[in-house]
Parts: sequence; C-alpha cells; structure tokens
Amino acid sequence: MIVCSRCSKDNQDHYKFCLGCGAELPRQSSKPRSFSAPTPPGGMPTTGRTTDAPQAPQAPQVAQAPQTQGGRAEALASAPQLELEPTAVQPARSKPVAVEDPLPPELAPLGEVTSPCPHCGSQVPENFRFCHVCGDDLNAEASGSPPGDAPAERVSAPAVAEARQPAAARARLVLIQPDGSEGESFPLSAEGSLIGRGTGGIFANDAYLSPEHAEFRFEGDQLVVKDMESLNGVYIRIEPEVPIELFDGSIFRVGQEILRFEGPVAPDPADDGTQHMGSPHRGYLGRISLMIGRQTTGNSFPIPPHGIHLGRERGDVVFPEDGYVSGLHCRVNSEVGHVFLTDVGSSNGTFVRVSNESYVPQGTFVLMGQQLFRAEY
Amino acid sequence: MEQARNYVCTECASAVPSGHKFCGACGAGVPTEAQTLETRFFGALQMPGKARLIVVRGDEAMGEGLSYLLQATEHVAGREADQIPFPSDNWLSPSHANFLYRGEKLVVRDEGSLNGVYIRIRGASPIQIGDHFMCGQQLFRIDATPKDTSGPEPDQTHFYASPRRPSAFRVTQILEGGMDGIVCCAHEQSLQIGREECDINFPDDVHMSARHARVEMSGESLELVDENSQNGTYVRIRGERELSHGDYLFLGRNLLRVEVTA
Repeated sequence: MIVCSRCSKDNQDHYKFCLGCGAELPRQSSKPRSFSAPTPPGGMPTTGRTTDAPQAPQAPQVAQAPQTQGGRAEALASAPQLELEPTAVQPARSKPVAVEDPLPPELAPLGEVTSPCPHCGSQVPENFRFCHVCGDDLNAEASGSPPGDAPAERVSAPAVAEARQPAAARARLVLIQPDGSEGESFPLSAEGSLIGRGTGGIFANDAYLSPEHAEFRFEGDQLVVKDMESLNGVYIRIEPEVPIELFDGSIFRVGQEILRFEGPVAPDPADDGTQHMGSPHRGYLGRISLMIGRQTTGNSFPIPPHGIHLGRERGDVVFPEDGYVSGLHCRVNSEVGHVFLTDVGSSNGTFVRVSNESYVPQGTFVLMGQQLFRAEY
Repeated sequence: MEQARNYVCTECASAVPSGHKFCGACGAGVPTEAQTLETRFFGALQMPGKARLIVVRGDEAMGEGLSYLLQATEHVAGREADQIPFPSDNWLSPSHANFLYRGEKLVVRDEGSLNGVYIRIRGASPIQIGDHFMCGQQLFRIDATPKDTSGPEPDQTHFYASPRRPSAFRVTQILEGGMDGIVCCAHEQSLQIGREECDINFPDDVHMSARHARVEMSGESLELVDENSQNGTYVRIRGERELSHGDYLFLGRNLLRVEVTA
C-alpha cells in the first residue's frame, strides 16, 4: 500500500499515480504480488506472474517475455515489479489511470425505427453503428466510404497514406507495446494468415496463445478473424458508446477481469406446486460473473432491469484493485428486449471475446494472448 | 390474633393437616380441595411443557397474531396441513414441518420440505458448506471455493483467468424462483452482510440492519454470527431441532414465535 502524501488515499503498490487525486506516487518496493501483476491490457499473466522491468520502447514485447512454465518460479522470485504505465496503450490517450473519467453522456434512447442489416438481414435500431447480431459496420456500407474512414480517430497515418492500395495488400497487425508505442508489424495475407504460438515471429513466446490461435482473412474489403478454438480466445475492442449485444455465455474483458454474461435460468418449481423460496427477484436480466478458471466463476452480480455500471471507483460493480479499469468503465443494460454491453469511454477499452468469427474494422484493437494489436488495412 | 395454619374441621374445629381425608378428632370428611396442596392452573395454556406458536408475520389469509396451542403430540404445519395450515403461501410444501414433543422437549422436524425450516440464531452458530441462511428478506447459501482450474493445457498454453484472491468460502444469494443471484467470495476468512459498507450490501432491504451478520472461517470450521441485527439471522435446520421459549422460526413467508410454558 502506498499512502498518497497529498490526499492520504491508499493506493496499490504498483500504482504510479494516486487513484484519489492523481499525484505522482513514490516508487515502491518490488515485492512480488500474489495476483494482478501489473501488465498492460495487452497481455495478461495469471496469478503471481511478473515480467521484467520496462524495456526500451524499441524492444519488442516478445523479447522480454519468454516465460514458459519452467522459468516461471524463477521469474517470480527474481523479477522486479513491472512499472509500466498501465493505461498507456493508446497513443492518443497516453495519460494514466489517475485521470478522473468524465461522466459519460447517456446513450441516446434507442428509437423504435429499425432497418435491416445489409450483411445478415437482422433488424437493427437506426442509431446503431454496428449490427448487434453480426457486428457488420453499418456506416461503412451505408455511406460507401472506405472502411478505414468509419472510426475517424482510429485512422493511422500509414493507412491513410496507402489508401489507394487494395486493403488486403497492406493489411497487418501492429503490435502495441505496453508503453503505447507501436512495435513490430505482422503482415496479413489476402489468402488468410494463421497465427499462434506455433507460427513463430512475434507470437512465438506468448504462453497464452494456443499453437494455432486465430486466422485472419479477407471477405471482400473486410478483415475477418476466426478463433481457432483457442484456449484464451480473441478479443476485440468495442467502440465507445456503441452497444454490443450480449448472449448467454458471452465473454468480455474489462482491465484484467474476464467477465461472462449468463442469461436468467431458474429451476422448475416442485411437482407439488411449491415455489422456490428466495430473495426478492427484481426482474433481473441475467448475471455477470468473474471467470477465475476454465468453467469456474468467482463473484457474480445479477443485472437489474435498469442495468448496471462497472468501474474501478464508480458504478454498481467496482474493481478497486484493478488499475486498468477506468473510474467508470462500461455498462450492461437492456434495450428493446436484448442485453447490451456499452463502453462508456474507458481509457483502456472494453474487449469482447469473438465467438467463432468476427469482422475486424480498420483500426480495431485486437487482444490475443498477452499482446495487443491494431488491425491496419 | 392469628389465623389457623391448617384446614379446620367444620364439625369439631380441630386442625387437620393436608393429606388427611378424615378429621383425626371426630372422623368427619375433609373436602377434596383441602386434602392435598396441589395447585391447579387457571387454564390449559399454562400446562407445563405445552407450547404454542404465535404467527408474528403471516400471509394475508392467516393474519397476524394467530396462535396455535400444541396440545397433541404431533402438529403438522404446511400449505395443506390440517393442524397448522398456511394455505396461501406457495413457499410451503403441503406438509412442511412437524412440531412434536419428545418427552418434555418440543422439537420441530423438517418433513422433507422444498424450502426448509429456519430458526433464528442466538449470537453465533456453527454452519457448514451447503447450509442456507436468511438475513432480512435475503436468502443465502454457503458454498465451497471451487478448485483452481486455471492451470496450463497439455500443449503448454497457459490459461488466462481474472486475478483471484485467497478466499476460504463464498456466499451465494438465492433469488425467488431458485436462480442464483449475487455470489461473493470471502475476503480470506470472513464475509459481512448488511445494508452498507459490507461485502454484500442490500441498501433497499428495509428488514436488514446496516451491519447484519457475518460468516467466518476459523480453523476448519465456519461460523455464522448475527451482529445484533434488529430482525435476526436465521439458519436452515437439518432434520430436526429442539425448540425453547422465545425461538423464532420462518416457514416460507411465515414468521412464528415459540412460547413454551416453563
């Protein structure tokens, strides 16, 4: 615990800035922590895992994390505490955890007007930018603009410069290093690229990648990722204030936390007509549960009809010990009879685990294994 | 001047001690009331060892303040019971619980009901994994911490799990209809329940105290502790339980108080 000298708030040992007032905190001892080893959202060790101290920005992340099981105990004992800027994954928003997030503008109420998705035909409320069923980028198709133009803030310089080339030819995954700078790129071929721990390159030493983890391919101008039934999955960062529908079993990630949405399920009443007794049921939409093992969950919270907010400090469900979660991070609520997840402008983003396949719009952040990438094409 | 200390024979005015049927001096009969000094009760409710149940909170049909005198040897309560019926409470099984006397003792026995019989604990009570308990309007179950299933795969891929902290047990809220609600893992050895500032908080439960109860693991055993809450903490009985004067029981939505004549 570090006590802030300015506002006296208790802070976790690995914080560099005070959670209460944002003042810079003194450096702390390098005691290995039992959990929540501070890694960037780009890569998540499990319990007790630590990584080397920050490297020079040009050093690719993989070079410092060749931690297979054998080296693990050693690393635990000897590795100094990682002191990377926790939230500095996005170049555009390099400032840290300590920043008080502004209250999000409330999501405009959904109109009753819907129009069919050009890709899958589902009825989509008019103010949605992406289809809540298949994830298709509706703006891109509606306006006919190149996919790269849809999320304006995500367009990177190289993408604009090469705008005239076919998308597949310049497609690549750019490694985003823990300090937010860009690292190596991995070119994606138009025919499809299989990536994983077994495919080598920048993926070779990531113990959290399956040997064959994911496949990227093009469908027309759209990049598509397919999860090759990997252990830890492929996560895609969702746009702020764009609701994504959750289904029973949907998994998403906030900071270091893996959360699962579970639809409401109840046992049948007894044969003699006796109902199951219990706490008042306030019309819960389902629950969100913290995943702490393959099929085991830790804390769970039911979602009331008006929804819940998640954050480090504010909201109905808080993660005070996870420095990668924003003060107010995301919400889960119900619209038009479905349950949606919405990022409310978090610093590190909310990531949704891809169920089988998903479109990857230009500029999307993709989380695989311990590393964060940005898809450019 | 003082009063005679014994019964006085109406024939010869001699004193007759208790236990005599006839006057020792003149042989006249002694009335039965005077033959022994046995004291009788004003009413049957005072019979020693006999108990009654008072409905402190009942469903609409049965009202409150109703009392049942337990004069037989067995008394079945339930949704379709004859002796102690609660016809409109669908949380009660048709035959839910039996109040019976074992010698001098009154016991309640769960008749295999779906939802069980809950008794208010006095202070602290030992509790086990799988036990159910109630605070305010909330129903909970104690669960074991699941085995860690976050180890690596045979192909040496590590599993990424959310950070977890050491926890000796967990408490699961059970919602009306039987689905699980809040799950809260204990912070190491202890977990507190109340309206606010606890590990599980119910700001809108008006029957719960600010700090209501806590569950603690000490050594290998769990204990449920009522924190002097206003409405008490109730634990589901296993099988049968001896009752004493002043015990409170929940049968479904019905709260009963036990009165046993000393």
